[in-house]
Amino acid sequence: MNAIILSAIFGIVMMLSSAFVKNTKAYKSIALVGLILLLLANICETYSHAWLNIPTFDMLEFSRFGLYFNTLAIACTILFSAFSQREIERVGRYIGEYFALIFFVLCGIFILSSYNNLLMLFIGIEIMSIPLYILTGARKENLKSNEASLKYFLMGSFSTGILLMGIALVYGGTGDFALVHHGQDISTSIAGAMNKRMSFLDVAGMILILTGMCFKVSAAPFHFWAPDIYDGSPSVFTSFMATIVKAGAFIAFIRLFAIREEETTILENAIIGVDWKMLFSIIIVATLLFGNITAIFQQSVKRMLAYSSIAQAGFMLFSLLSLNDTAKEGLLLYVVAYSVATIGLFGILAKMKDYTLAGYNGMAKSHPTLAFANAIFLLSLSGIPLTIGFFAKYYMLMAVIQTGGYMWVAIVGVIFAVISVFYYFRVIWSMYFKEGTVELKYPVTKGFKILAVVMALIIILLGAFPQVILNFLYF
Amino acid sequence: MGITAIVFWILSALTLFSAIMVLVSKNPVHSVLWLVATFFSISGHYIMLNAQFLAIVNVIVYAGAIMVLFLFVIMLMNLNTKTEMKKNLWMKLGGVISGGMLLWILISVVRTYAEQSKGHPKIASVNTGEIGLIKNLGHVLFTQYALPFELCSVLFLSAMVGAVVIGKKN
Amino acid sequence: MLSSHIMAAAPVAAQHASSYLPIALQIVFAIGFVALMIFVSALLGPKRKTNDKLANFTSGITTHGNARQPMAIKYFLIAILFVLFDVEVIFFYPYAVNFKSLSWTGFYEILLFVGLFLIGFVYIIKKRALKWED
Repeated sequence: MNAIILSAIFGIVMMLSSAFVKNTKAYKSIALVGLILLLLANICETYSHAWLNIPTFDMLEFSRFGLYFNTLAIACTILFSAFSQREIERVGRYIGEYFALIFFVLCGIFILSSYNNLLMLFIGIEIMSIPLYILTGARKENLKSNEASLKYFLMGSFSTGILLMGIALVYGGTGDFALVHHGQDISTSIAGAMNKRMSFLDVAGMILILTGMCFKVSAAPFHFWAPDIYDGSPSVFTSFMATIVKAGAFIAFIRLFAIREEETTILENAIIGVDWKMLFSIIIVATLLFGNITAIFQQSVKRMLAYSSIAQAGFMLFSLLSLNDTAKEGLLLYVVAYSVATIGLFGILAKMKDYTLAGYNGMAKSHPTLAFANAIFLLSLSGIPLTIGFFAKYYMLMAVIQTGGYMWVAIVGVIFAVISVFYYFRVIWSMYFKEGTVELKYPVTKGFKILAVVMALIIILLGAFPQVILNFLYF
Repeated sequence: MGITAIVFWILSALTLFSAIMVLVSKNPVHSVLWLVATFFSISGHYIMLNAQFLAIVNVIVYAGAIMVLFLFVIMLMNLNTKTEMKKNLWMKLGGVISGGMLLWILISVVRTYAEQSKGHPKIASVNTGEIGLIKNLGHVLFTQYALPFELCSVLFLSAMVGAVVIGKKN
Repeated sequence: MLSSHIMAAAPVAAQHASSYLPIALQIVFAIGFVALMIFVSALLGPKRKTNDKLANFTSGITTHGNARQPMAIKYFLIAILFVLFDVEVIFFYPYAVNFKSLSWTGFYEILLFVGLFLIGFVYIIKKRALKWED
């Protein structure tokens, strides 16, 4: 609760400061202070209790997992805004507003990590998405940014409509918006006849919700929006959208199916013939296929990263298939691994003039530190051992194997992980083994380089000791 | 067939007809006007379900304000050039198949639900329900659903910021 | 005496959709009357078509240019802000009906809601979003 309230307050503070504070340099400082306070408030809630005791009527439930996810999300946002602050200032005139919108997005994510009611799911999704539509179109004079914003808005609102339709059907099937009723599952709260079984309305509703959520996390076959929108929006906001926001959507997705796991197991749906696990497997394989295969053919690194984000979403979806403790731990590792690496890559990308693969030629000679950091980020994304990315993928595969019966999905995952190495290494290859000069659009400061190296070191250190992250989940 | 059933069927036919007209109208302004008709007939349905507040809000906000926004958007476009959208046959086919499958699911849902819930409470309570009355709705909104209600204002604030960021001249 | 009578009767009357019958009748009658009048006047009135009569009436000024021009986004900005505040006002209605029973809690809730909107309003004013000329 602390985080939700504070993030809303800081969003308002940023709004007001953009209206009253004339000094444009001050915004990022205010935002950073706000983010750090947010982090502290969230940690405070994790270890003791909320500051305000607001009756939520079971609408929100703050679990250790959700709160810890919040902490990670805030930490990644701090990293993001420290690393890309100059780029945010370059997007346009409304710097204070951009930060305000980022705070509002965070507010939505915090709701999504703790919702216990389909109504809150909807509000969380909306609070998370609407600021993003605006951030996508923040570069107003750029036609591509406008197009991306409009596309994102139309498709996003359409998918939210599908989600809402699903929620309505689930409400019709169960008679309640709540996911858990005083520890009891919702389906038991309706009159005895259909105890524990999902009714047809319920199943249809869950399928529609699944569709809407798949769109939000860019899982195939609802991934088609992602490349255009990630490519068109300003690079800074792409990195925010592709990492922290996507992780937030994932948490919501996992939370929904984890709470309703009992009903979505096969036995209880036998009468209707919906095999949810098979549905998830198909989505996973399709996502991995589309993301990885299309990423191979991309010449623009930004576009390649957009497709790779779809592929990575496929890996994160493994946690949806298994829904056990390993999957939860793996998801947290994945959020950290993927977010840090992608924020780093996009941060460096935003400084460059040429986004194509050729633009990276010879980076190792002219900018050795940046090339080194880039290489580490790419290695982590492809899941090479000794980086955190390896453990993230390892935990995900482990979780699927533990579930049993879905070995083939894990094998497909490994195959695609190997394929992904190809296109990540192409960038490393151009940086280190090709001749050329890298032209930077904006100068790189010393602090930026130091931060890039620090992020690379984080990836390596966590790769050596992944337990550091997971320990906080329990202690 | 009582008067309620007759009104229901008339309203349903009206809703479906105007919804289809929204899609098939060539002129976007006509589409918007048909959409207004759709909203009005849906409001009629709400009144039938005794959800008066929803009916009024639907008329005021959707048929009134949002439709004005729609008209503004249409006027922002350039309507002089008659650009016929390129229609891909495969795209159409895909749309028909996926839409048809959704329709199939929804129809079977309603049918099986009606069978399954024999002797159970009705799906919709026409004309008698009291949940939709303004007094009850307001009571629930300001007690049980107070938190989502307040969070909605965050949504509105971000919409305001967005309107300024996108709509204001640089 | 009379007012208490109405207040006592109002909730009962509002609980059944059949109480909308007079309203429905009135709507039907109003629409029917207008349609009938238009139809009858078209039927009975004399028809003398001249070019001047068929031209668009623009307050006596000769028409020029094309009406189908993209218009300024300023209108849209005002309209969307109007919708936001319109929705805010809508929420007062269920609050007002339950004003007594919600007591102070409800008051604080609506105060918070309005306060947040007020902040938004201050922001809009400060950003000169409602200024027509700029």
